[in-house]
Amino acid sequence: MSTFIKDFIEKEKINRRNFLFASAYGLGGAATLGAFGPSMARAALTDPTIAWSYRNRTNPYWNEIVSGGEAFVETLGMSKDALIHLINEGSSEKSLADMKALLAKTGGNLALAIDTNDAPNARPVVEAVAEAGAYVSTLWNKTDDMHPWDFGDNYVSHMSWSDEGPAEQTARILLEAMGGKGGVVHLGGIASNNPAIERLNGLKNALKDYPDVELLAAEPADWDTQKANQVMSAFLTRYGDEITGVHCANDTIAYGVLEALRAEGIDDMPIVSYDGNPQAVQLVADRKILATVFTNPHWGGGITASLAYHAAIGTFKPSEEPHEHREFYGPTIMVQPEDALEFKANYLDSVPTYDWTDYWGPSNGPIVYK
Amino acid sequence: MAITGTTRKTSAGIGRETLVRWAPLLVLLVLCAFFALMEPRFLSTRNFARILIAASPALMVAIGVTFIIIMGSIDLSMEGTVSVSAVAFAFCFLWLGGTLASWAWLAIPIAMLVGAALGFINGLIHVKLKIPSFMASLAMGFVGTGLAMVLTGGDRIRIEDELFRALLTERILNFPLMVYVAGIFLLIAWFIQTRTTLGRNFYAVGGGEDLAIASGLNVNRVRIMGFTLAGVFFAVGALLAVGRIGIAETATGNNFMFLSITAVVVGGTALWGGIGGVWNTLVGVLIVFVIGNGMVVIGLPGYVQDAVLGLLVILAVILSTDRKSISFVK
Repeated sequence: MSTFIKDFIEKEKINRRNFLFASAYGLGGAATLGAFGPSMARAALTDPTIAWSYRNRTNPYWNEIVSGGEAFVETLGMSKDALIHLINEGSSEKSLADMKALLAKTGGNLALAIDTNDAPNARPVVEAVAEAGAYVSTLWNKTDDMHPWDFGDNYVSHMSWSDEGPAEQTARILLEAMGGKGGVVHLGGIASNNPAIERLNGLKNALKDYPDVELLAAEPADWDTQKANQVMSAFLTRYGDEITGVHCANDTIAYGVLEALRAEGIDDMPIVSYDGNPQAVQLVADRKILATVFTNPHWGGGITASLAYHAAIGTFKPSEEPHEHREFYGPTIMVQPEDALEFKANYLDSVPTYDWTDYWGPSNGPIVYK
Repeated sequence: MAITGTTRKTSAGIGRETLVRWAPLLVLLVLCAFFALMEPRFLSTRNFARILIAASPALMVAIGVTFIIIMGSIDLSMEGTVSVSAVAFAFCFLWLGGTLASWAWLAIPIAMLVGAALGFINGLIHVKLKIPSFMASLAMGFVGTGLAMVLTGGDRIRIEDELFRALLTERILNFPLMVYVAGIFLLIAWFIQTRTTLGRNFYAVGGGEDLAIASGLNVNRVRIMGFTLAGVFFAVGALLAVGRIGIAETATGNNFMFLSITAVVVGGTALWGGIGGVWNTLVGVLIVFVIGNGMVVIGLPGYVQDAVLGLLVILAVILSTDRKSISFVK
């Protein structure tokens, strides 16, 4: 009796296991077909949803980036509201989750421009996009070991900026204005941010040729005007007249520095900054700032969306492009007092109408890994 | 009120209550002495002016939230309210003429009204919808930040008027005007706290809400008025912040939440209400900004600052709490 029951239970177990296996295979197979089927069948998408995934719009830099994305969408004859905004608020998890939700909603019919918030997040994002047969172009963040050409056509391009060279150039302008002697302070971005590190390195590289200039201090000011204001005030207490020049990691920091100096009645301190925000360019024209570097975020935001879109609809085939068309540096333009007004008229007062199919014109050569 | 009756004498004969009352000031003095020892220039008048310039906007915001914390509630809407008030001020100021010498001065009361309105809505949501002040105000703060974003479209508005910027550039006895403005509002807050029914009602609500209700106090009304008053002080903070930097933007409100709550707690105002006041908050704000300034002045890396502030919050709570009388903590 007992053996009969044992046998029966054993049989039932096997049957159930087989059933589960079979159904799992069935469901999985269907899902796989759903995911890979269409993407393998079609070479390009028709009328894909266009999305930009980024930190938030409060930041003037990202505001410029997305406005470029909107300008691109408008050239397609759509309203700028047609651009889907995925806002990650500085969270990689949110960035990935929102992107996956949009992939599911659009069934992979998506052209995505994205800054993945941090480098490690680029891989899961790109893999999810490639799996769904959508197209993605990345900006700023990705790890050095992954490349667009590893993912066929779906990972269209990556654009980044190397800030070390331009920051060194502005530093040289500053050190010359200081007469090659005295003390310089650096107010940096968030200490762990790559651009913050590169911009400080730029200053350090330039300082090697100016042995009579001392780097008095380098403090993070977190890209924040008010924080920069306080740090600069404290620098004035600590170093007083020893400070003869200020190297700022970006324009928003420079605004805080200028106001800290204004409070003390100092209005002739040599200052350089970075980013080329409209207000900073005006300050360069007024010679309150000696130089800033414009990275054309409007173009960067537009072209990143354009690359993903045009690859998606098949205007060009990414895998047939050379590597320097898939990983490249964005443009940098040095703005100094002599050309500031002309620059402002050309780039800021009226935003130039870009040809969004000139994908690589203003770019700055292939990305070099150290 | 919560700790009266638990006074114990220390060996030196100083009551615990006295110690708790003066501990924040003691911490401030010790900090000043420490930084001065490390770097004598810390003690210069010019440096004190720099600390006070930085502290003035935060002091206004912290005073606003002090009233709420005395009631035993909390207001976390300051970042949004500051941003909206700053942006509203900047828009009105430029629209009405762009200089204090014209009708543009009206932008100042308008900004304060905007702050009051946001605080009023905040209070209504908290009281009428019975949502805990923590959630109601946090949500209102986000709404405010979003509203400022919509108003500015992400742009920054410059206020160049020399008259308005005199807040920063004009000095009397080595201190800029904005420090005196902050001082006047501190006195107003002190007056409200000690000499008005509303001020005393804040303590009544915070010290024992059941008792306050039983004695016929309209607690809901007190709460709504408290949040409105806080909104006005947030707006004053926004005005000083714009005066200091010359820029109004969505980011004007950044960091005020951490700064002001830290300052209030470090100053000795208890988070469960009924204890503390605006002078505690003044000391707390000064502690926070003396640390911020002193760290850079003696050359310590900036990222240590937040850690030190965090430790100070714990220390402040330890000092101001009689933990033996609390059976459990949640």
